Amino acid sequence: MKKIIYIAILISGLANAQITPEFEIGAKGVFSGNLNFNSEESNAVTDFSDTQLLMGLSQKLYNNWRAQFVLGLQFPDANSNLGEVFYNNIFMKLEDQTNIFKVGRTLAQTNLNEFPTLRDDDAQQFVYALNPFSDGVNTERDQYANVLDYTHIFKQRFSVSIHGENFYDSLEPNDFRLNSMGLSLVYRVPESQRWNRNIVQQIGLSYNNYFTDRPGYSNDFDSSVKNLLFSTILNLKPDPINFVDFKFQAIQNFGWDEITELNDYFDYTRTQSTSLFGTFRYLKQKLERPHYQISVGGGYKSLDNLSTDSNQLLFIANGFYRMGQNFDIGFQYRYTENDGFTQNLFGKNEHRLQLAIVYSFSQIFNKQFGDREDLLNLEHNYIK
Amino acid sequence: MDRRDFLATGAVSTAGMLFFPGNLLAKEAKTNNKHKLVQTLPYKMDGEWKEFELYIDVHTHEPAPGYKYHTLAFNDMIPGPEIRVNAGDKVRVKFINKTDLNHTIHWHGVYVPWRMDGVPFVTQLPVMPKNEFIYEFVAEPEGTHFYHCHWGTLMHMQAGMFGSLIVENPNDPIKKKFPYEREYTLVYSSHDTNYIREEMNSMLERMKQRSYLMKEGRFNSEQWAVFDNKEQFTASLENGYQPPYVTNRRSNSDLPQANWFTVNGKSYPSTPYLFIKSGENIRIRLINAGAETHHLHLHGHDFWMVADDGVPLEHPFKRNTVPLTPGKTYDIIVEGKNRGIWTFHDHDTRKVTNNGLYPGGNLLALVYEDLPADELIISKHSGNPMYNPNAGMGDMKGMENKNMGSMNKMMFGEDKLPKIALDE
Repeated sequence: MKKIIYIAILISGLANAQITPEFEIGAKGVFSGNLNFNSEESNAVTDFSDTQLLMGLSQKLYNNWRAQFVLGLQFPDANSNLGEVFYNNIFMKLEDQTNIFKVGRTLAQTNLNEFPTLRDDDAQQFVYALNPFSDGVNTERDQYANVLDYTHIFKQRFSVSIHGENFYDSLEPNDFRLNSMGLSLVYRVPESQRWNRNIVQQIGLSYNNYFTDRPGYSNDFDSSVKNLLFSTILNLKPDPINFVDFKFQAIQNFGWDEITELNDYFDYTRTQSTSLFGTFRYLKQKLERPHYQISVGGGYKSLDNLSTDSNQLLFIANGFYRMGQNFDIGFQYRYTENDGFTQNLFGKNEHRLQLAIVYSFSQIFNKQFGDREDLLNLEHNYIK
Repeated sequence: MDRRDFLATGAVSTAGMLFFPGNLLAKEAKTNNKHKLVQTLPYKMDGEWKEFELYIDVHTHEPAPGYKYHTLAFNDMIPGPEIRVNAGDKVRVKFINKTDLNHTIHWHGVYVPWRMDGVPFVTQLPVMPKNEFIYEFVAEPEGTHFYHCHWGTLMHMQAGMFGSLIVENPNDPIKKKFPYEREYTLVYSSHDTNYIREEMNSMLERMKQRSYLMKEGRFNSEQWAVFDNKEQFTASLENGYQPPYVTNRRSNSDLPQANWFTVNGKSYPSTPYLFIKSGENIRIRLINAGAETHHLHLHGHDFWMVADDGVPLEHPFKRNTVPLTPGKTYDIIVEGKNRGIWTFHDHDTRKVTNNGLYPGGNLLALVYEDLPADELIISKHSGNPMYNPNAGMGDMKGMENKNMGSMNKMMFGEDKLPKIALDE
C-alpha cells in the first residue's frame, strides 16, 4: 500500500503543471405529483425519482486521443432496494475520431432509442431488452451494467459496437464476471444535423446474448437468453419551427421454450416475447428555442410461449411547456394493461396521471477541444 | 541512426515548412521568411479602376507547429492579403462570401463613401452566404490602414478576418526624411481559439436553420433579432422575444479570453524576422487588428515614430516601446545602428505565450544580415566562464574545455545561438 501511495505521489509530482480538464456537468431534476387509479402503487405528493447528476472530466491524451472520466448519480424509486442514491454512471471513455472504448458502469446497449417520456423508465418493459439476472425490484438493474464496450465509427454515421456486460445478478450479487455479450450496428445522423434530415435520422440493430444457466443445457450459446432489437427514428417533418418525428423500437426475445408460465420476474425476462413501442412527437420551436412539445405513444408486448394468453399494452401521452431556460412544466398520462400471467406479476390495469416540473442542464466548462460531431469537425476536416 | 542524426533529419524536414532559428544568417532564412510576411493581393485594371478580389471561407489555421484550429480567413490566409494602392487610385473590391455565415468588409481608416463602410444594418445589409458585394472607393488618405469583417465583429475579427491596406504616397515625406528600401507590415492580433470554435459551431448551426427558413419565406425579424423600428422591437418583446442581455443567449455567455497572440497570423516560434543591415533604415508598419493592447518593445534600439493611424508625423520622435492599442496603426523607422539579433516583443509578457505557456505568441527578432557568424558561437562570446574560458575565470579553464564543454553540448545542443526555447 505504501508503495502505491509513493508511486502516486511521484506521478502527481511530475505532473504538477497540469492543464485543468474540460469539466462537463449535467443535471436533471424531475419532480412530479402522481395520481394512480386502480394501482397497487400509492399516490405520491412529490416523486423525485430519476433525478440525476452527471459529471465528466475530459482531457487530450498524447497521440491525439481523448479520455473522459464520468461519475453520475441518480435518485432511484423509494422501494428500489438501491438505497438513497444509485451511482448509475462510473466509467472511463477513450476515444479518437473513429474509435471509442468504454469501461465501467453506464447504460447498456439494450435500448438504442430515447423516447419522449417523463422518466426514463416509464415504458421500461417495452423499450429495454430486460436483464434476465434481475429480480425486477428496480428498473436501474435493467438499464445499467458494468460494461466493456468498443465502438468503431465509419464515415461519421455508421457505428459498430462490440460489447460485453456484467449485469447485476440478484441471486449472485457478488459475481462480477462477464454475463452478457452483444453487437450493435447503428446508422445515426450527428446531433447537429438531425433537425433537417429527410426521413431517416437513426436506424439500428442490436443483438444481445445473456449467459444464463439454462437447466439441461451445457453449451453457453444454447443455454443463453438471446434477443434482437431493431430501432429507428424517422423525421416526419424536419423543420426548425414545427418538428415532428416518429420513434420506434422492436425487441424480439428468443427466450427459453420451457417457460410456459410466469412465477417471477426471472421467468418474465427469460420467456419468449415480442415488444413493439413507438411515439410520435411534435416539437414547437419559437424564437430559436423550444416552446412546447406534445407526444403520444403506445406499446404492445406479447409473450407467445405462455400457456395462457399474456399480453401487455401501454398508452402514454405527455406535454411539456418551456417556462424558461432549462425549466419545463408538463403532464403525463399513462395507461397500462396486463393480461394473463403478466396481470399476476404486475397487477391489473392502471391509469396514472402526473403533473411535473423538470429541470435539465448540461454545460461544458473550460472547453479546450471540439467534439467529434461539431459541424466544423464534420464538415471542415476533423482537428485532432 | 543515433540521436544527433535524428535531430538533424527533423530539422531539415521542418525547414521545408517554416524556418526556425538555427542559422538566421543563411540565405534560406530569408527565403522562408517571405511566407511569414503579408502577401500582396494582385489586381487587374478595368479602365481607371484597380480591381481586387477577396473571398472569405472556413480555414484551418496553424499559428505554431502542432496546433491547428478552425477559423475564418480572407483568401485562405491570416492575415488576409495586403491591398497596396496609391493615394487617389480608384479601388474596386469584389467580395465573395463562400461561408454559411454573414460577413461585410469595413475599410478601417479610409475615407470611403458611407455606403461602402461595411457596417451591417447601418451602411449595408450583410453579405449573406454564397453572396457577393462590390466595394468601390477612392484610396485616401495615404498611410497604413487595414480592412476587417464587421459582422459579428467580436468573433469574426479575432477569428482572423483582417488584412492590411496600404495607401502609398509617391511623394512620401517619411521616405524623404528616412530613406529606406525595405519595409515590413506586421499585423497583430489575439485569439481565444476556444471561443472561436464554440461561436463558429453555434453560428453555423443557427445559420443552417435560418437559411432553410429564408428559402421557405418564413424567416422574420424576431428570429434574426433585427428590427425596423422601436415599435417592432417592443412588440416582439411582448411576443416573447428575449434580448440576449436578459436570458436565452444565443451567443457564448463568456467574453473571449485570448490564449493565442499572433503577428501576421503566427505565434513564436513561427513569427517573422525583420532583416536589416548596418546603416540601413527599415520601415515597419504596425497594425493592431485584435482586441488587446500590445506594448511593443525593441531591444538595443530606439526607433522613430513616423506615422500615427497612417498620418505622417510632422515631427517624428524616438521611442523604444509603443502601446499599440486595438484598431491602431503606427509606422516606425528602425535605423541599423547596433549589429546583432534583437528581440522585438510585447512587453506585456502575458502575450508572449502560447495557450498560457511562455515563451510564445508575440515575440519576433530583428536580425542584422551583416552579423558575422562567429558572433553566434557561444563558447567564444558567452559572458559565462563555464561556457567561455576567455570570460575571465582562468582557474576553471581545464575543466571547461573538457568536461563542461561536453556537458554544455549535451544540455544545449550546438555551440551557437539563437535557439528555439519553448518552455523557460
